[in-house]
Amino acid sequence: MALQDICNFQTIFEDNRRTEYPAVPHGKRIASNYVSGLPFSSSTNLFYFYIPVAEYLDQSPIQFGQISTVQSSSAISSEDSFLTSSSLPTCLPFASSQSVPLPFPMAHGTTTLAFMFQGGVMAAADTRSSCSGLVACPASQKILPIHSHLVGLTSGTSADCALWKRILARELRLYQLRYGRRLSTRGAAKLLSHMLHPFKGTELCVAATLCGWDGGEADDGEAGPGGHGETTKSQMTEQKNFADSPSEKVSLAEAQSFPFSQQCFSKKKINLSGPDLFYVCSDGTRLQGMLFSVGSGSPYAYSILDQGVHWGLEVDEATSIAREAVYRATYRDAYSGNCTDIFHITSKGWTRRNREDLKEEYYREKERRRRERRKRQDVTLSE
Amino acid sequence: MALFDVSGFNSDLRAWILPSTQVPVLDRANNYSFGSKFQEFAVPPGVDPSGFLESCSSDGGVRIEMDHGTTTLAFKFRHGVIVAVDSRASSGRYISSTYYDKVIEINPYLLGTMSGSAADCMYWERLLAKECRLYRLRNNQRISVAAASKLLCNMMLGYRGMGLSVGSMICGWDKEGPGLYYVDENGTRLSGRMFSTGSGNSYAYGVMDSGYREDLTVEEAYDLGCRAIAHATHRDAYSGGVVNMYHMQKDGWIKVCKQDVSELLHRYRKEKLRV
Repeated sequence: MALQDICNFQTIFEDNRRTEYPAVPHGKRIASNYVSGLPFSSSTNLFYFYIPVAEYLDQSPIQFGQISTVQSSSAISSEDSFLTSSSLPTCLPFASSQSVPLPFPMAHGTTTLAFMFQGGVMAAADTRSSCSGLVACPASQKILPIHSHLVGLTSGTSADCALWKRILARELRLYQLRYGRRLSTRGAAKLLSHMLHPFKGTELCVAATLCGWDGGEADDGEAGPGGHGETTKSQMTEQKNFADSPSEKVSLAEAQSFPFSQQCFSKKKINLSGPDLFYVCSDGTRLQGMLFSVGSGSPYAYSILDQGVHWGLEVDEATSIAREAVYRATYRDAYSGNCTDIFHITSKGWTRRNREDLKEEYYREKERRRRERRKRQDVTLSE
Repeated sequence: MALFDVSGFNSDLRAWILPSTQVPVLDRANNYSFGSKFQEFAVPPGVDPSGFLESCSSDGGVRIEMDHGTTTLAFKFRHGVIVAVDSRASSGRYISSTYYDKVIEINPYLLGTMSGSAADCMYWERLLAKECRLYRLRNNQRISVAAASKLLCNMMLGYRGMGLSVGSMICGWDKEGPGLYYVDENGTRLSGRMFSTGSGNSYAYGVMDSGYREDLTVEEAYDLGCRAIAHATHRDAYSGGVVNMYHMQKDGWIKVCKQDVSELLHRYRKEKLRV
């Protein structure tokens, strides 16, 4: 699929001319830049993928009180996928305006957390998947590795999260094949955020935390602004294998308009490699931070993390804080529980601890408290 | 008026002195029949508060949010009960007061905390204080914590569904030892070792669960209470101000401290970095 994509770029180039990009805010899209590879050049493939879904919205076997409209059927009457992709902006608003009532109230029933420290990024999550009061799966995986140096924590609807993680992994792999280096965490967050934007207002629910380690590759820290532009194009300036005059103009303009920007850029150059942590949500939020926790158990975890997390932690201290935070959240929150997964991302990639059953921790703590109470009783008896 | 009731004044003379609409002595409200014969204040006829409120709780329509915007906590340990509360009073997004006292000192051995609607909590807990005092006068012994919390619970049940918003913890020390009860506007009454109420309760629970042991020393317990409130105010928008802490001991409660939350958080961060 990826190779086909790369080899058939001519045919896709033709498609690009004909189709419009619907609601995606694309910024500076320049036709001649195709050779450099727009991040969304493959997004036409993306929309090919989703068109059948748009049709099924009218013919869903599960009737949740859907209103079958006459207008939308005429919009999707054409068999031609190119035309349907261009008419997609009219389809999607229908999907949201019909307001299909959900069968049960959805909630982010989980606890996931991640924080940055001097030894990389620590990510932890529980493993319970719940479905309106029923534990659907006590051993699900909420931390999904995207590539060797990027891990995604998922919260929200598990189906949506799994799908979007795979789409993101595909896009990042294509990027890596085209440009010979991995996309940074910041770029991946931006990419995911822009991919999710057309679905804003629908019932898609994805709250992902991307934890990764950037850089450490060949052409790092070269001249040019790093991580400052609005799309990943600005990072392409480091590659010298294409005529990049528009992007250079952009960078020069930025440099001129902000006199202090040179210092900014040089600072950015130094920080290009290292750990990074982003929170991306399907409602459009995209935040960088040092510490995030998502889900119904997040308040319980936040207070533990606020107490203990700082930059100078050692790896084992960080692991124990992450474990304690997930344990406390599962202790109090009904929708979190079962086991905990802990991932640690460093410059060498991600490593995973063995999945630990928190039931053991609960019994150990109970035993500890019982022993203390017995000791206290012995002390009072002897007095 | 209360002396009349308590001293069992002659009912004939009483009827002569007092207006005829007064309640006869035998039917007077006492601690056994509080609220069962006559409600504290009657709902006007034709008004249906519970029906109105039910219509105001639909998702997507008009919705009155009865959130308890605060953080209060209490836990029992070997040396008594620690009660810690924040001090922020908010009306919607506006902070109406930064130093609001959310603990009501019912008597020297009973404390009540407040969360939810400030007006409701203040009124009903003062009413509870009055009833506790009357009990003491009538029965010549202090009311137990269980009984006091039951009184408050029955008051709440009398107006259930009518829009009261009270999340209170009644803490005290009686013949059975330290007592801690959580009472709700729904009529929930729970006895327990550790409670936290309000919008910041989940943040406080994380810290409290992590650091709690039965055999904490007094200093450690004070520190745990402060930490839990401080971290809750750090993350919750509706909690803030100062930490008011009380320690319920065998011979009554003492007020431990009133510490500003931002100073506490700065101190904790310095300790974290020093370690």
